[in-house]
Amino acid sequence: MKFSYNWIREYVELPANLSMKQLSYDLTMRTVEVENTENLADALDQIVIGRIDSLESHPQADRLTVCKVDVGLPETVVIVCGGINLAVDMKVAVALPGSMVRWHGEGDPVQVKKTVLRGIESYGMICASSEIGLHDLFPGSDDREIMDLTSFESPSGTALAEVLLLDDQILEIDNKSMTNRPDLWGHYGLARELSAIYNKQLKPLPTAVVAHTPSGFPVEIDETDRCNRYIAAVYSGLKYEPSPYWLQLKLWKVGLRPINNLVDITNYVMLVTGQPTHGFDKGHVDERIVVRNARSGEKLEMLDGSKLELSEDDLVICDANKPMALAGIMGGKADSILPETSEMILELAKFDPTTTRRSAQRHGMRTEAGVRNEKGVDAERMDQAFGVADQLIRELIPGAKLTAYEDCRPIHVTYPEIKVPLSFLNVRLGRELDFNAVAATLKPLGFGVAGNSEDESVLNIRVPSWRGTGDIDLPDDILEEVARMIGYENFDFIPPQITLERAIRQRRIETERAIKEYLAFRAGFQEIFTYPWIADQYLKAAAIDPAKCLRLATPPSPETSHLRSSLVPGMLEAIARNLRYYDSMKIYELTQVYEPGISNPSEEAETLPLMRRKLAAAVVGKDPVKVFREAKGVIELMPRIVQTEALNFIQKDKPDWADQKVWLNIVSCDRVIGTIALLSAQTMHSADIRKTMAAVIELDVEELEPLPSRENKYRPLPQLPLVEQDFSILVDRNVKWREIEDLISGMVRSYAFIEEYTGKQVPNDKKSVMFRVWIGSDTKTLTAEEIDAESQRILKKIRKKLGGEIRQSNS
Amino acid sequence: MIRPMSYDWGVFVLWRWVMKDKLLTMQNECIESVTQAGSEQALEEIRLKFLGKRGELTSILKALGSLPPEERKETGMLANSIKSKITTAIEAREQTLIAEKSVIEGEFDLTVPGLIPESGSLHPITQMCYDLNDAFHSMGFEVFAEDEITSELYGFDHLNFPPAHPARESMDTYWLEGSENETGAKRLCLRPHLTGASVRYLKKHGAPARFVYPGRVYRNENTDARHERAFFQYEALIVDRNFSFASGKLLVKTILDKVFGRDVDVRMRAGFFPFVEPGFEIDMKCLVCGGKGCRVCKHVGWIEVMPGGTPHPNVLKAAGLDPLEWSGFYINVGLDRLVMMRTGVDDVRMFHSADLRFLSQFK
Repeated sequence: MKFSYNWIREYVELPANLSMKQLSYDLTMRTVEVENTENLADALDQIVIGRIDSLESHPQADRLTVCKVDVGLPETVVIVCGGINLAVDMKVAVALPGSMVRWHGEGDPVQVKKTVLRGIESYGMICASSEIGLHDLFPGSDDREIMDLTSFESPSGTALAEVLLLDDQILEIDNKSMTNRPDLWGHYGLARELSAIYNKQLKPLPTAVVAHTPSGFPVEIDETDRCNRYIAAVYSGLKYEPSPYWLQLKLWKVGLRPINNLVDITNYVMLVTGQPTHGFDKGHVDERIVVRNARSGEKLEMLDGSKLELSEDDLVICDANKPMALAGIMGGKADSILPETSEMILELAKFDPTTTRRSAQRHGMRTEAGVRNEKGVDAERMDQAFGVADQLIRELIPGAKLTAYEDCRPIHVTYPEIKVPLSFLNVRLGRELDFNAVAATLKPLGFGVAGNSEDESVLNIRVPSWRGTGDIDLPDDILEEVARMIGYENFDFIPPQITLERAIRQRRIETERAIKEYLAFRAGFQEIFTYPWIADQYLKAAAIDPAKCLRLATPPSPETSHLRSSLVPGMLEAIARNLRYYDSMKIYELTQVYEPGISNPSEEAETLPLMRRKLAAAVVGKDPVKVFREAKGVIELMPRIVQTEALNFIQKDKPDWADQKVWLNIVSCDRVIGTIALLSAQTMHSADIRKTMAAVIELDVEELEPLPSRENKYRPLPQLPLVEQDFSILVDRNVKWREIEDLISGMVRSYAFIEEYTGKQVPNDKKSVMFRVWIGSDTKTLTAEEIDAESQRILKKIRKKLGGEIRQSNS
Repeated sequence: MIRPMSYDWGVFVLWRWVMKDKLLTMQNECIESVTQAGSEQALEEIRLKFLGKRGELTSILKALGSLPPEERKETGMLANSIKSKITTAIEAREQTLIAEKSVIEGEFDLTVPGLIPESGSLHPITQMCYDLNDAFHSMGFEVFAEDEITSELYGFDHLNFPPAHPARESMDTYWLEGSENETGAKRLCLRPHLTGASVRYLKKHGAPARFVYPGRVYRNENTDARHERAFFQYEALIVDRNFSFASGKLLVKTILDKVFGRDVDVRMRAGFFPFVEPGFEIDMKCLVCGGKGCRVCKHVGWIEVMPGGTPHPNVLKAAGLDPLEWSGFYINVGLDRLVMMRTGVDDVRMFHSADLRFLSQFK
């Protein structure tokens, strides 16, 4: 919201030497964030008022006029101008060379220079209002209509900013920082805050005298929980006309467009007090004012021309038979102030913030009134607002007369009184304040501060109405008021005292980090994040039953309404997208997935769905054997690095996304906790994963059993060297490595699979398996004969059990 | 081969003279060529020429046997001393050659890049998160994690959000289908912030407490380069007796000093959030201009980095703690934004893109 510094100073005399920088700092630290300050005169530098001395048509151009203009210099200057409303003795705004203007009111400001226009040198330009940012204050019919300043009496050559009284600082306050401060949405509220900060007297606002009011006016409030006070003040003898310049200027400076005197009055009142008001043409109001819920299907055309279809959730202001305004947001077009209005009902009312906000949201109407009403304006402020309105109406329209006044107030709200122990303040603030010091910070803000008759160490604090609509009701709120008025910058850091009880050990947290770091740093995987809502395409590709997924009520898009029960769909999407740039990759994600069910992490009443952390990883590349073995190796090594119970493999439950043949379940402590598999052809097809192979791991991280402490048993080193022997054997294709392994494991010190081969050199039904063994003795170095005998023993056993034959054997 | 033809004294003296001369010449010739040998191979050839089985010196030594004993002794001593000198010279030359030589013959291009170890990396947000965990761990903070789906009770009610607070509506929060029209403990959503986790932790473990609880949160909003529906926060809470808000700077400084690697100036100013009282906006002094004011800080000299404040009494009550006994300090910082500030990432949506071209930049 924008505030005019001059306007604020009508209510409080601030230190004469106060700079905008200091003011911004003090307000920002104590109250609200000042985003920007700007002097309106700065933009009008080198623009002056001038009088047209003579006019001639441009000899070379039909649409241009050559003007001689008195700009306060000893001689008139020549300016070539395209304006259509030029006249001798007209006063105009002249942008002298060096000033900044916007051509035709568009684009960035450009600097005016002496220019030759069709052969005639022009000394600056005569401006349309839009060209110098004054369009709302001087609305012209188009950009060729020159701003007419004839009614201003200043001599030629006076700076335009001075002529138009624009020498004023505009403060721009971050609206977000005022959401909890409905009292600050008017100039008087900010003036009060500044009066407290700088310890200056706040001047009172005018009050209205309604003692001689002839009569009341019928007002009925049907929904007292949505409107607890409604003042209708009826004025007659009005005249619809433009506001005087000073009023237009005030509104314009803080961003409102001047409209006519009656509407401008209502806006002025709001900008002073923060209390929105509205005027109805009394001639259109049948009998009485009724505040009620709209009827479903009721229609209302608004002042801005939009046509609303109302529902029972909307609150409306009606007369005896029709809605006339959407309460607290905007008036209807038909019955608000009209050019013929001579009698007006001025509305001042307190509407429920939530009702206002929801209606505004539902109808997409963000208005100055709505923004304030949804913050929670206190009902007491209406009296203040009425005082301001009444005075201004009388001042602007001498014939105006208050003919009726009704204050319909079914509910009186009380405002909090808070007991605050001084010790509470002093401990939490970390300093020693006495009664007087606290009172000195609070009283200027309008708080009542009194001693407690029973206990001297406790303060009784009465909250002013404008702070009592939800902002302040606890000792802690008072603490904040005191602290901010002292100034947060005046509190030094106090090092906290901490008791150390034990070292921290969190195995679940540590295991998760160990897994992530193992995959990234040792196994060469890239960690990725994907969204928890899954695109239907990938849900289907992973063959996951949508019925077993939770759904969002208002999803980011219709095709991403399901929440993940598995990380596989996200993996599929990540693979598919990255295949545009990479033909191989290793990626993983570790995060929560959800499924319908019941968990109670904190209390019985709260039933959350089932949530588990899972790990998904993918190895993508051309060779299916290689990607699968790589993925398998990652899981085989993981327990050792991450320090969990061992993992084993079986085939028990095949997930639907897994290949028909190439899949393994991962087993920990006899429970299946995950799967490694090649993606099935179907899954790859549906996920648009083409011309590559992918091995995917999914694993339930919650099921991993972290070891209580690092386990890594030492084995003494062999005393004598081991002999390394390679074997290559030819066996039937269906023989598993596990079978060979089982045969040799008891016969050798250690062994390793090297490779498997099928192809030209091997018969069709056979495969060649190459492995390495290490043999040795603890008592002597083996001789060549002994080594050979040992090799023969191994081969004999394999031949006997598996019918294998040797292809070669090397030592 | 030289063989004395007679024992005539004169001849003998002459022969001895010739022999000695010959040996000394051989020595000089040999040492000269050793000095000039440019490679181990050349050196080996010299060694063979003089000391090999048929080398020149070897031949003389072999012939010594046929000399008269007195001659044998004198010439033998001379020949052996020469052999020793030559051997020493060759060894010395060999040492020099080894010390001077490269294992590589010919050219070697040192500008060819190294072979980088195959490595993946943690997501940049995880990296930031772990950096901060380490910093807080060193001060005895626990790391806590709440589940991603929570209820209105823990997401709003317990946190002192007024019943009609706009954040409770579906245009702000992702409610779960089927629960969206319920209230409180029955109305479920993807968590809109992390703060609810603080109540869960305190309910379970009580006070005093020091813990951090990083994680992903969700907001229903339109996305652009600065707005995301899923983003990461890092929240820390300390709860203790007689705790002044003026101690809260410890949490702020711990984070900023870790992220930026140096002491960062911090200020706390008035700010409003339902779950804190008093609440703060916390600014850091602009690192670009040092507080003088520049484009980065919009000429203010300070950059808003995080909100914080003392837990609201209603929040402490919800966690089962007496607000007159316990107090503390919260801070909550957006990890996405911290990473953007630290690395220059200019579009928040990159973090969930899973795009390896982006992620692989953060090794």
